Amino acid sequence: MQNSIARAGKSKAPLEKIMNVLFLVCGLAAVVSVVLISLYMVLSGAPAIAKIGPLQFLAGQIWNPEAKEFGILPLILSSVTATGLAVVVAVPAALCVAVFLTQIAGKRLASALLFLVELLAGIPSVVYGLLGAILIVPLVFQAQTALGLPMSGSLLSASIVLVIMILPTIISVSVSSIHAVPRQYNDVSLALGSSKMQSIVRAVIPAAKSGIVSGIVLGVGRAIGETMAVMMVAGNAPIMPEFLKPARLLTVGISMEWAYSSGIHREALFGIGLVLFAFIMVINVLLSTILKKGGARK
Amino acid sequence: MKKTLSIASLVVLLVVVGAVLVACFGTPKDNNNDDNAALSGTVKTGGSTSVEKVMNALIYQFQGENRDVTVNYEMNGSGDGIKNTISGLYEIGHSSRELKKDGSEDGLTATAYAIDGIALVVNQKNTTTALTTEQVKDIYTGKIKNWKEVGGADALITVVTREASSGTRSAFAEIVGLEKADAPETAIVANATTCENTGAIQTTVSQNANAIGYMSYSDVDSTKITPLSYNGVAPSEATLKDGTYTLKREFYLVTKTGAQLSPAAQAFADFVRGEDGRKIVAANKLLPIE
Repeated sequence: MQNSIARAGKSKAPLEKIMNVLFLVCGLAAVVSVVLISLYMVLSGAPAIAKIGPLQFLAGQIWNPEAKEFGILPLILSSVTATGLAVVVAVPAALCVAVFLTQIAGKRLASALLFLVELLAGIPSVVYGLLGAILIVPLVFQAQTALGLPMSGSLLSASIVLVIMILPTIISVSVSSIHAVPRQYNDVSLALGSSKMQSIVRAVIPAAKSGIVSGIVLGVGRAIGETMAVMMVAGNAPIMPEFLKPARLLTVGISMEWAYSSGIHREALFGIGLVLFAFIMVINVLLSTILKKGGARK
Repeated sequence: MKKTLSIASLVVLLVVVGAVLVACFGTPKDNNNDDNAALSGTVKTGGSTSVEKVMNALIYQFQGENRDVTVNYEMNGSGDGIKNTISGLYEIGHSSRELKKDGSEDGLTATAYAIDGIALVVNQKNTTTALTTEQVKDIYTGKIKNWKEVGGADALITVVTREASSGTRSAFAEIVGLEKADAPETAIVANATTCENTGAIQTTVSQNANAIGYMSYSDVDSTKITPLSYNGVAPSEATLKDGTYTLKREFYLVTKTGAQLSPAAQAFADFVRGEDGRKIVAANKLLPIE
């Protein structure tokens, strides 16, 4: 017995070292892949943008590879509009749900609901696309018919699908960050005479702000990067965004034409990838610095 | 004891996995016939890009059966395929259109080996059953916007198309006459709903009562969508075969009339039109020609 403990002690030192190296390699792998991906995106996307001309590429209003016109402004604006609408709707809704689950609902109800929300987060995007195509698109058809537009997939349908898709992400991250707020905040606020709602809005939510912001950033990232579900409901015509007309988002722009593209057309698709990549980076940095700083000042 | 057992089972597992891998990816035995064994050399071919999928499949199979033969396939369009066959650069040219009869392409023989039918499809609720070339053209350029203008119900038309650089799109545009003069682009309206593959066309049209789309005839599932008559002829294998359904194109092998092909080239041409070739053609969702 003693012997085996001694032996275990001896073998521990090399094991420690091996594990140290293993963790270091894993850590580096993450960093290296980020660097490699960034490099790859720039190297493969930038030449096409240079060839086409940054202005024609980013501000051009016509995407027509057959005529060698590669303007992605409609794609950029469609992505921004769809994501923006989705976030504007989803964030307040998700916050309310999170507050309900953590502050108002009973324990059993809350844990049951939270389980369902997390289930929602795990549903593959193609399933959301299917539901969107079967349930949401036909609803939008009615609005289009009423307004004298042809029935088609639309920016609005895409936004609605995105709302449903990003809700669970924002809810579950918000719930955990509200849970992490010390109980005393709420108690003290209540003791000082504020109502339950006042202490939730004035004490608990501000304290959980940074976590909620992370949830929003994750949600925005998921929305702007979503491809499959959007492609199934958006109609995918590369025209300037209008809610009830078909719209092509950046992600769809790439995946839709990838298969048969070649030459400058394929390079331009890489260019879209670079723009999308830059977009997500900028959004992440902006959202997290602005929103978190705003919280700190208060 | 346990350890040795688990090691033994690991070894067994490895052997089994290895055997499966070898079975899957190992080199298959040559099933060369004796008469093919003598074939060798390079067959220069080139032309149409539309035949890419089926031609690559044919070449892959042919080269697998004739290890010493290389079949080149330059993809540069039917025009170049025909031109380079005239000049003798290619022994076999690939064309997805008929030879011109204005004298510029005389002295060649075009042998069709496959028919690619394109069906115009609408939702099953749609009461329209037939369209003419002119109507299709007007719908796809946005001149006709309502089904009532072509004999259907009073509803706005949802134009559904394929993405740029799709072969079906360019063939459709070419046959219907949607190509702009002196420009490579098609005149299909920009706000048309765009689908990334045949399946998406079928789904979109089956879910939208007012949609019209086009797709390879062989993929049409008529329990979900309705193929329309084109210039009065309904698409079917019979009308494709007898040539009355004109929204289609044939794929041709183009050779010099009367010239003796090299044995390898002759073998390839025979292979394409033979039983094995027809199977591959059919597997690529085309109608083989006997």
